[in-house]
Amino acid sequence: MRIEVDWTRCDGHGLCARLLPEKVGLDEWGFPVIDTPEIGDDLVPHARRAVGACPALALRLVPG
Amino acid sequence: MLETHPTVSRLLTAPAGTPRHRNQDELVGLAQQVRLLGRGGAGFPVATKLAAMPRGRAVQVLVNGSESEPASQKDRTLMRQAPHLVLDGALLVARALDTRHVTVLVHDPGATDALTRAVRERSDASRVRVVAHAGGFVSGEVRAAIRLVDGAPAVPPGRRVLPHESGVGGAPTFASNVETFAQLALLSSLGADGYAAIGSAAEPGTTLLTLVGDVSGPGVVEVPTGLPLAALLPGQDTDPRPVLIGGYHGSWVSDIRDLRVERPGLREAGLPLNAGVVARLSNDTCALAEVVAVSTWLAGQSAGQCGPCFFGLPAVARDAYALLHGRPSTADLDRRVAQLPGRGACAHPDGAAMFIRTALTTMTAEVEEHRRHGTCGRPWLQELPTGPAPAVRSAS
Ligand code: SF4
Ligand code: SF4
Repeated sequence: MRIEVDWTRCDGHGLCARLLPEKVGLDEWGFPVIDTPEIGDDLVPHARRAVGACPALALRLVPG
Repeated sequence: MLETHPTVSRLLTAPAGTPRHRNQDELVGLAQQVRLLGRGGAGFPVATKLAAMPRGRAVQVLVNGSESEPASQKDRTLMRQAPHLVLDGALLVARALDTRHVTVLVHDPGATDALTRAVRERSDASRVRVVAHAGGFVSGEVRAAIRLVDGAPAVPPGRRVLPHESGVGGAPTFASNVETFAQLALLSSLGADGYAAIGSAAEPGTTLLTLVGDVSGPGVVEVPTGLPLAALLPGQDTDPRPVLIGGYHGSWVSDIRDLRVERPGLREAGLPLNAGVVARLSNDTCALAEVVAVSTWLAGQSAGQCGPCFFGLPAVARDAYALLHGRPSTADLDRRVAQLPGRGACAHPDGAAMFIRTALTTMTAEVEEHRRHGTCGRPWLQELPTGPAPAVRSAS
């Protein structure tokens, strides 16, 4: 799986970085920085939680 | 040293006249034989795009003549000088796809007038819509162009939708740059062999370029593909300077000796030709000021809907400005530029990052001069245009 940000929706709430710190860092304005978007099986539950928690509905888990 | 360059004139002087009808398979075959690539930004194979299209009355054809980058003039020149060839190409594609829906999106007033007149002059173009708009770099982006034609704000959508699936009015849309359509018209009239009689094997034919700054005759030229880039840049061997390939989303490169005007080869070298802008600065202007001006302009073109682009580009422009005035380190700028790519709904931050990053790596001597003295002593001559977009004109 891969995690994707819809940049037109993301408001920089930063919640994703708290719920998925293994994958998501934040830039100086609070927008996510994701160096490797591939999500290993072990992280999928955490990633799903982050997707569900994003208040802007900006995160998606996509196959691949 | 070449002081002149061999230009050709196929597109800009092509005789008007409806090219012979081709069905979709024939057109795909022709495009495949001459390896025709889109002439807007991405350089996607036309045959692949055309083959993916369904046919039928609902299908839309979108001719993208937005050309919002101020350095590029080739599309407006083509539309002004050969509007019928552009329409020939658009109608050729429309007929091959069994549709009559053709929209031409333009922002240059002269091009709008020429196209509107051309539509009136012919009997087969009564259904062609010419839509004039105010411009803006990002609206040149094809998905933004589609939204604009649909009356929505001209910004790219957040989700990656493909025009051939859902484009104008939600219908399957064949969208490409104006030059692509003109090339298709020419290809249909000349046939694959005639079309490929000039140019390189990898990308036969000709291409339009806009030459900017200290070049062999600034302006729009049509050249055979495969032409050594040095032919357009006299004196480069004795006085090597950074050359910008691919415009304001392109790259600066110092050593052009092995480079040819040909999209596949340039792409392999990591230097996409994009819309065909090639620029070189004279020794009289402050190169860093030129780069700062373009960086500022790029920041202003952010459609403002994606945070990393909206905040990142102005911050990078300010960092570049600080270097101009002698800031000792490029570390802030390097870090911020590295964070731009891949973090927007369109390729604008990626292209802007490429422009700025390669400018600073090829202009180290200039940066050093500014670091030491706070100036290089040369004035800013505005050799790289960043002019305002022309005002809106409505088309009938
Ligand atoms: S939680 Fe959602 S809105 Fe907040 S930074 Fe992450 S992606 Fe953006
Ligand atoms: S990346 Fe920038 S220019 Fe592109 S859509 Fe987002 S805000 Fe607009």
